Formats: sequence, structure tokens, C-alpha cells
Amino acid sequence: MRFYKHLLLWSSLGTLLVLGWAAVAENFLAEWRRVQRAARSRLPPAEAEGFGVELRQVVLPELAVADRCVSCHLGMAPGERGLPGDKALAPHPPVVHDPAAFGCTTCHGGQGRATTAADAHGQVEHWPEPMLPRRYFYAACGTCHTHLAVPSAALLARGRDAFERHDCLSCHRLDGRGGTLRPGGQGGLEGPDLSRAGARGWRADWHAHHLRERDEAPAGPWRSAFAGVPEEERAALDVYLASRVGAPGLTEAKALFHSLGCRGCHAVGGVGGADGPDLTRVGQRDPGQRAWGGVRGERTLASWFQEHFRAPARVTPGSLMPELGLSEPQIDQLTLYLLSLRRSSLSNSFHPRDRVRAEKLGEREFATDGATLYGTFCAACHGQGGEGMRYPGMAPFPAIGNPDFLAIASDDFIAETVRSGRPGRRMPAWGEAEGGLRPAEIATLVRYLRSLGPAYQPDPRPARWARGDAARGERLYASACAGCHGARGQGGEGPMLANPVLLRSASDRYLAETIRAGRRGTAMLGFERPTPARRALAPSEIEDVVTFLRSFEPKDREKRP
Amino acid sequence: MTAPAPALRRFGDNLRAAPRRLRDSLFRSGRPVSDRTRASFVFGNVFLHLHPARVHRWSLRPTFTLGLGVMTLSTFLVALVTGILLMVYYKPSTALAYDSIKDLHFVVPTGRFIRNIHRWAANLMVVGVLLHMARAFYTGAYRAPRELNWVVGMLLLAITLGLSFTGYLLPWDQLAYWAVTIGANIAQSPREVTDALGITAWLDAGGLQKELLLGSDTVGEEALIRFYLLHVMVLPLALCTLLAVHFWRVRKDGGLVRPADAEARLGPAPQGTWPVFTEAPQKTYSLAALVKGKTAAVGRGPEGTVPAMPHLLLAESAALMLSVLLCVLLSVLADAPLKELANPAVPENPAKAPWYFLGLQELVAHSAFMGGIGIPTVVLVGLGLIPFLDRESEGTGLWFGGPGGGRLVALSAVYGLLAVVGIEAFAIHYGWIREWWPKAPQLLITLVNPGTVLTAAYAAWSVWLVRRHDSTRAGALGLFTCFAVGFLVLTVIGVHFRGPNWDFYWWPSQWPGH
Amino acid sequence: MSKAAPAEAVERSRLDPEPIPRRDFLGLAATWSALATLAFAALGMLRLPKAAVLPSPSKKFRVSLPESLAPGEPFLAPGRPVVLVRDGLGVYAVSRVCTHLGCIVQPSPAGFDCPCHGSRFAPDGAVLKGPAPKPLQWLAVSSLGAGSYVVDEGAAVPPGTRVKA
Repeated sequence: MRFYKHLLLWSSLGTLLVLGWAAVAENFLAEWRRVQRAARSRLPPAEAEGFGVELRQVVLPELAVADRCVSCHLGMAPGERGLPGDKALAPHPPVVHDPAAFGCTTCHGGQGRATTAADAHGQVEHWPEPMLPRRYFYAACGTCHTHLAVPSAALLARGRDAFERHDCLSCHRLDGRGGTLRPGGQGGLEGPDLSRAGARGWRADWHAHHLRERDEAPAGPWRSAFAGVPEEERAALDVYLASRVGAPGLTEAKALFHSLGCRGCHAVGGVGGADGPDLTRVGQRDPGQRAWGGVRGERTLASWFQEHFRAPARVTPGSLMPELGLSEPQIDQLTLYLLSLRRSSLSNSFHPRDRVRAEKLGEREFATDGATLYGTFCAACHGQGGEGMRYPGMAPFPAIGNPDFLAIASDDFIAETVRSGRPGRRMPAWGEAEGGLRPAEIATLVRYLRSLGPAYQPDPRPARWARGDAARGERLYASACAGCHGARGQGGEGPMLANPVLLRSASDRYLAETIRAGRRGTAMLGFERPTPARRALAPSEIEDVVTFLRSFEPKDREKRP
Repeated sequence: MTAPAPALRRFGDNLRAAPRRLRDSLFRSGRPVSDRTRASFVFGNVFLHLHPARVHRWSLRPTFTLGLGVMTLSTFLVALVTGILLMVYYKPSTALAYDSIKDLHFVVPTGRFIRNIHRWAANLMVVGVLLHMARAFYTGAYRAPRELNWVVGMLLLAITLGLSFTGYLLPWDQLAYWAVTIGANIAQSPREVTDALGITAWLDAGGLQKELLLGSDTVGEEALIRFYLLHVMVLPLALCTLLAVHFWRVRKDGGLVRPADAEARLGPAPQGTWPVFTEAPQKTYSLAALVKGKTAAVGRGPEGTVPAMPHLLLAESAALMLSVLLCVLLSVLADAPLKELANPAVPENPAKAPWYFLGLQELVAHSAFMGGIGIPTVVLVGLGLIPFLDRESEGTGLWFGGPGGGRLVALSAVYGLLAVVGIEAFAIHYGWIREWWPKAPQLLITLVNPGTVLTAAYAAWSVWLVRRHDSTRAGALGLFTCFAVGFLVLTVIGVHFRGPNWDFYWWPSQWPGH
Repeated sequence: MSKAAPAEAVERSRLDPEPIPRRDFLGLAATWSALATLAFAALGMLRLPKAAVLPSPSKKFRVSLPESLAPGEPFLAPGRPVVLVRDGLGVYAVSRVCTHLGCIVQPSPAGFDCPCHGSRFAPDGAVLKGPAPKPLQWLAVSSLGAGSYVVDEGAAVPPGTRVKA
């Protein structure tokens, strides 16, 4: 009896205590309450009067958004003035996308339904979309937007140089710079802000318009600052203007991605190689699902990317990706770009025009001039200038800008190589069905390659003229070639010669000339001259070797398309 | 001023007297001060009248019942109340469920606390049911005339587990999705046998079970709404109905079990106890006389009993409040889990069921059918048969009563521990048939796997005990103890020692990728 | 009624009236027809939860194999728990749904690993280890030409069935 009385008494009191504590925690200690009470005490008395300590939110059912961020970031709630100047309580800076119409998490990421800082900022267990770090914030644009026709970094830099050189910033504002007053207090910010020219569009006859204005103006900046732009630089300026879409840094980052040949191995939006992982949505990967073994620093997707760029194999054991020797600013830019590959699954009605054009109408995210195409797809393996690359643990990649190669490789041969690749080797097929390049783009690439070296010297002979002795060729091959190209032509230090696409598209002249003259700057030395290690080959012997090489060709060749 | 009309005066008097009359109509017999009023306090109240008016002192000893039955009921009531509150905000749809739980957690006033209480109450209820069952078993409370109530209790256990399992899916997070995918495929596992026999095309019991459970072939919208229906409607109704039967039978079977010499064992009543009834009452038979035969209570006088009000009610209230305290305390200390939104393309690794199913999952990791259906069925049927096989009377109403007693139970626990640890260690270290002979027929593996071997080892021990002590009760004591220990050890292995790919790890910190 | 009152009736107490005679046809028929009706209704109600058509989306899907796919290398069909392999003999598809309890197996150097209960499979789906009772299912594949294929997740085929590349 006493026992039960005691048990009842102490259990009840204990429960009361716990419930009391829960009530206090719920009604007084909640983080957002403390923030709001502190904010209210700092408001001017007139405003503090009408300021209620309550949950605030931005609710947009069509975007599946219920963002309580504004319960603490008070100034950003629709219709609130907040505390200007305060880091957390200030109103949202003016942006194209009004937070009241788009919510907070749509751009910033994080957990909008949460009401504690740690949960809302999203760097907690079991929340796959933490907030984007401040320095990579413009990656958020990639949630909906797909910036089209981004050129390579060099082209972009050329445009930016022209922009600065012609002093456009004296009248125009761009990404927060420029538009300053001229000496004497005249003018200043006369021209439109060009930060979003690429999205808004600009007048096609801008140059003629500027000239006319200058001629009509009696004095002032028009006369002192504008002096006409040469034709070539106008084109560069147009490229640059097209890249200004209000996401400073992101366009540059994407341009860098289009210069380092990343798409040679990685596909984005269905275009690119398949050797590396598809990156189309890499920016929204769940940090909780990453392996953090080789990553120093905090466990964010950004630091994972950075570490991965520095030493891929340390972060992902067994990764095929070579260490590219990137500079820290480059790593920073590429991290920004990868984080921007988010592609939300919002309903179609929220897809902006650029994304519709990229996904539905087949427009390209990369510019389709030769330099950008080369930078986008080829540069990682074949080098920025076609000089070929060597990465530890991999067969060397051919120098396709080599003058010896370009002199004997016909356009058709290069185009066919790009289109069909080298099955069994690292060179993928880039034809529309496989790698996703269109015939016109491949033709542009071939023209660009051509511009790197001497012109092709046509050959009057038919493609296949070698009629040598295959048996002798085999013996010669075994002694002279097999060391680098493999006993069965399977490749080694040198390229794979038994490759069906190579043998199908290469002419006899191409093979014979390569053997005779070699490739300058590579391990392939010409056989017309002897070296201390071996003797020279006579033209007839070279013909024998070529004849033997043809025996590597698959027998059912006529069946192939 | 004239005096008001008599009718109006009566109206005024009645109005003034209304509160008192209301009280009188609520508590007809007045304050419970005498034995008689205390008795009518109990049987005059719809909520209390399942109680007897008087209860034996033996049933009130805390060390006898440990209050487990009442605590289990209490946790159910807590879960019921909090569950109804959660239903205010919960939306049973794959698109909204997860967000509604997030809202409950973050913005619903007290939502997070209430959800935690619901979760802890559910867990405590499972623990309570299991311990209550063990108490009933070890005190021989299943013996005649209480056989049926033992079976009802087992049904209640099954429904409790069903409630937990169906509730598990509702948050629609990764944990839920994959645990339920596994659960649904366990329901499908009779296919393992029908396939091995080649009769699936004619008799696909497994496929039917899974389809009825999920309403589709994968866990999706249909499964969610079915689980919701089961969780908030079907199973609670079934549980309440069976609870009523359970309590009714406790009354009709003569209250809690007690040994024949309970009086002698108890000794004199301590100070402060309401007077123990000793005087023979004027027995009247009234309603009972109409029924042929005798009810269990008849023939047992109220000797040694004390009034249920306040003794029993106080004990019950204490157990109730203790349960509530446990629920709220745990809820303040630990949040109910909520993982990422369910993703049908990426399984959790490891995908673990709720803890009370991890023992089964450990068996399932050897054979889906045997672990998920075969062995549990054998165990449930075995448990259900116990009261009909054990017709002995030695030790009824005493902890570990029966031939062999506590020593036998301790020995069985040691044997059960050695057997389960030995077999598991062997299987973890050396693998099993599939690793030795990849071509082995599936039927062989279904029949001979660590789970079935363990079951056989326990059965053998039990048979030996029956022969040794010449008593079914001895065998039952041994078998129950073995299975309890086996369940415990397998659960610990499943909770703690299994990591990604269900591989064995000493500590979760050794899991790869962490 | 009066016929059913033989000698034993004498021993019954006044509280235990005569039993209902067994040959009360009307009563029996009424009781049994009520029970039969309820049983039939229950049977009809039990039909409801078993859906006539499952709400799952189409089990057939199209997939293109990249030309650069090395022979014998597994290709994970995007968004589907299916792996496609091209080897010297043709193309085949293997389901990635574990035959044990339906988890999605992950490719490993030795074949496939199941994350849930540790089953291991060879690249052709044969069980190497663990509780899986059957090899991974091979699925029906048909070729559309130009590296495109249609896989039917709902149609199992005997292991070894390939379609010409």
C-alpha cells in the first residue's frame, strides 16, 4: 500500500516535472523565439508595438515550398522591414527573383520546414540538401537555369579584355562595377546596366547607335569616352555580353569546364563521354551518401569536390580520373560549376526559357565554335594545343595537333575517328548516337584541328595501294613495332594498331608515312633513318609492314556499316 | 413584492441543488468510506466495473506481477491518445507524408514531443507485452482455467507487433520504406518453398500475401494507405476488442493466478491495510445460479481479499503513472528517428527493421521463409499449445514454479545462450551451405540453416528436460527460456553487430564509409 | 415437442429447461441460411483488397547501350533496377532486385552485392553466398537496332537467353 502510494506520488511528480520542462522548452526556449524577442527589443518602439513573436513563413504550394527561414531572418519575410544593416535580420538584397514569389530554399537549398538554425541550414544527418555555401551561392542558378552557348575560357577572356580596354565601364555598370562619374562631374552611368544583357538581350546595332550618339553629342562622355570598336573586337564583345546573365562567376566557371575537356569523360545533359560518372545532377548529391575517408575539412559537397579535384584517387579509391594539376582558383571555379549542376525536378511550368531550349529544343550549353568544342571535349586528353597528354598509369594520349599527323590525315579520316572512336581504347565514339556530337559540330572540330597545323597534302593514289609481303611484314613488325604497339597490335606505350576503326578509315599512305617520318615530339621516331638501337626501313619494307597491319582488320568488315 | 409562485420556487431550489444532484447521480453510493460503498464505487462505474470489488492480497504484491499488464495497457492508452493527436496533422500520401512529419517535428505546437511520446509508448508497449507474457509463463498463469486467455494474449502480442510494423511505414522515410519492403517480401517468402517444389504457378500463397499487404508489387501509395488504415483503424479496433475479452477473462477465470497456499505464504497483513475480509459472507447465487456448471470464481470465498478500491486502483494508477513517466522522460531525452525521404532506387545500407524484428531479420538473413514465417509459426503454435499440453499443477502462481524451478531456468538460459552464440559464431565465421556448395538445392538450405538448427537444438533440450523431470512443465520452462534468450541474443546481434551488407562488425564505428 | 420428453427430463433442474430439439427444421434452416449469407458476404468483401490491376507503371522500357561499353561490362539502366551486359554472344539483361527480400543489389568487382542481407551474386546472377534462394532473374530483351533495346522487367527468361547485338 505504502509502496504504491509512493510510486504514484513520485511518478506523478516526475511526469509533472518533465511536462513542465517540455512546456518551458516549447514556449520560451525555442531558438526562433529568442531571435525574435531580441529583434523586437532592437526595433524602434513604434514598430516593436506591432511586432508579434510568431512563426513566419513563405508558403508556395506550387513550388512545394514552406520556408520558415523568415522566422529568424525576419527582414526577408514578405512585407517586413527587419533591421537594415544587421547580418541576419536585414531585408533581402534586391534580386531578380523575389523571395516572396520563389521562397528561400528554391535557390539557397537547406531545409525550409525546419525552425532551428542547424536543421534549417541543413548540415545535419539525414538531410540531403544542405544550404549552398555563400561563396558558391551562384551555383543556385543551376537549379532551374541552363545557360546556353557558353564559350571556352579563352574566348570569354578575350571579350572581357575588349570590354575593359574600350572603357565600356565608364558608362555601363556590370556586376556592380563601372558607371563611375567622369572627371568634371559630368555624366556617369548613362548607359544601361549590362549585368544581365545576355538574358535580357541588347540592340544588335549597338555599335552604329553608339557612333551616331557620339556624332550628335556636343561634348561629355559620349565624345570623350567612345571611340569606335574594330569589327573583330565587336564580335568578342557580343560573345561577352551574351555570357552576362546575372550570375557572375558561374559563367566563368562553366567556361573553364568548357576549356579543360571535362566532357571528354563526363556527360552533362546527355552530351559527353562515359568514362567518368554522369555529372548532370552531381550538384545535388546527398553529402550523407558520400565516402568521406579521404576528405579533409568539413563534410560538405563543396569540400568533397575540392578534395576530389586535388587528388581524385585519394577521395574515390580506384578513380580513373587523373590528377589534373589544377590551380586553387580553377578548383574553386570548377567546384562552383559542379555545385550548379542541380536540375531540380520542378514542374515544367517553372522551367525558364533557357532550360526549355536546352532540354526540349536541343540547343547546346557550350558554344559550337571550334575552339570551344575542342576545349569542351578534347583538351583533357589531347592537350590544350593538341600536344597530347601523359597521365601516370595511362597509355599516352596521341598528339593530334602534331604537324606530321595533320599533314597526312585527311579530313574524312579525322572526322571518322571522332565519330566512331577507337573501340576498346579510351577514345570514345562521338557520333550523335553515342557521344552526342552532331555532324556539323564534328566538321567544325575537324576544321579547328586543321587550323592548328599544316594543310593536308592530298594523295593521288587510292586509299589502299600497299601490296607488300605480309609474312616479311610480320617479321619486321615483331622486331621493330611490337615493343611499343604490342605483339598483336593491341597497343601499349604506343597506340593500338589492331583497331577496327583505325584500319577502316586510315589510308595506306597514312600508315606508311607515319612509319617513315614518325611523329615529332613523341616516342615514334621515323624509320627512314636509323637510330643507335635499330636500322632504318626501306620503303618496300614499310609497304610490307603496312600490308601486314591490314591483316589485323576484322574479316567481316563488309558487314560493318 | 409577492412571493414567487410555488412552481418557480421549486425551479429555483432545483437549480441550486443541481450540482449536488449531478454529483450524486455520478457517484450513487456516496463517498467510498465503508466496505460496501467501496465495492459499489467499483461495480457502479462503467470504467471500473471490469475490476472485482475485492482483490486478493497475492495479486497486489509488486514482485509478483511487476505491474506489467497494467503498464502495457497504459502505454497503449498513451499511444492511442498521442496517435489521435498526430492524425490531426498527418497526411497519408507519399507526396505529403514526409513533409507532414517534418511539420509535426518543427512547427506543430508540442508536435515533436507528442510524436516522440507516441514512438516511445509504442516501443515500451512491445517490451511490456513480451515481459508480461514471460511473467504469465513463468508463474504458470496459462494453466487451466486460463488457457484461452493465454491464447488471447498471444493474439494481442501479434496485433501489437502489427501496429508497430504498420506505424513504421507512415513517416515515408528511407528507414520506413526499406524496412517495409523487406517485411512485405518476408510475407512473400512462402514462394521460397513453393518455388523449390515447383508449384508456385498453382499455389502462390506468398505472392497473394504480399499483394494483399501492398496493393501493388512495390511499396507505394497503395501500401501507404493500407498501412494507414490498418494502423489507425483495423488493428486498434481489433486490439481493443481483444483487450476487452482479455480483461473479461481475467475476471471470469478467477482473477490473477495464485498458489493454493497463498495465505500461508503471505503471512499477516501489514499495518495500514484495509481490513482483510475473513468473515464468511451470505452467499447469494442470483445470476450465477442460472448458468449450468460453476464459474471459476464460485467456490472461492472472499477470504484473504482486500477492497479493490483503493488497493487495486492505487496500484493500477501507480503503474499507469510510472508508464507515463517513462514515456515522457524518454521522449525528452531522445527524438523519434526520421531519415531521408524514401527513395525506391537506393536501399538503405544496412536496412534494418525496428529493433524487435531484428532478431527475426537475423534469422531471415539465413532463410527468408524459415526466418520470417516458418520458425515464428512454429514458435507461436508451440506457445499456443503450451496450456493444453501442460496439465500439471505444481508451482502454479509462483515465479519459476514447477519441477526444476529457478535452477532449471538458469541452466536453460545458459544452454540457450551457448547454443545461439555458438551457431551464430559458426555461421559468421565459416559461412553456410551456399558458400560450401553453391549448387546445393534450395530446399536443403531452407530446411537446414542456422535458424532451424537452433530451433532443433532448443527442441532437443526441451525433450531431454521432459524425460529427465518427467514433466511437461519442465520442458516448457526450458524451451521458453531458450527461445527468450535466443530472441534476445539475435536481437542484440541484429541491432549492434550487423553493418553494411549485413556483415559482422564489432562496432558500428568500423563500418566502411564512415 | 411433447415427443422429446423422455425419462431423463426428470433429472433436469428447473433452471435448465428442455434442450431445443434437433429436428427444428425451420429454426435450423433460418440459422444456417443466415450464417451462409454472412459467410458469402464476407467472401465477397475479402475479394476487394486484392486489386484486379496493379497500379504499377509499365514494366517495359527502352534503353540504349553506349558503343564504348566494353564486352562483359555491366551497364546500369538509368532509373531501373536492371543491368545490361553485352558480350561475345549478344546482349542480356539481369534484374537487380535481390531474390531474397527485394533489395536492389549493387555491382561489385565479383558480380553483385545485396546491401540488406549480404547475398552475393556472380555477374551472370548465380548465387555465390547468402540467403538468396534463387539466381537473379534474367529479363526478356528485344533489339530495336542501332544499340537500342527494349527490356521487360515483368518477363523472366531462362539464364543464358541473349539477343543478338
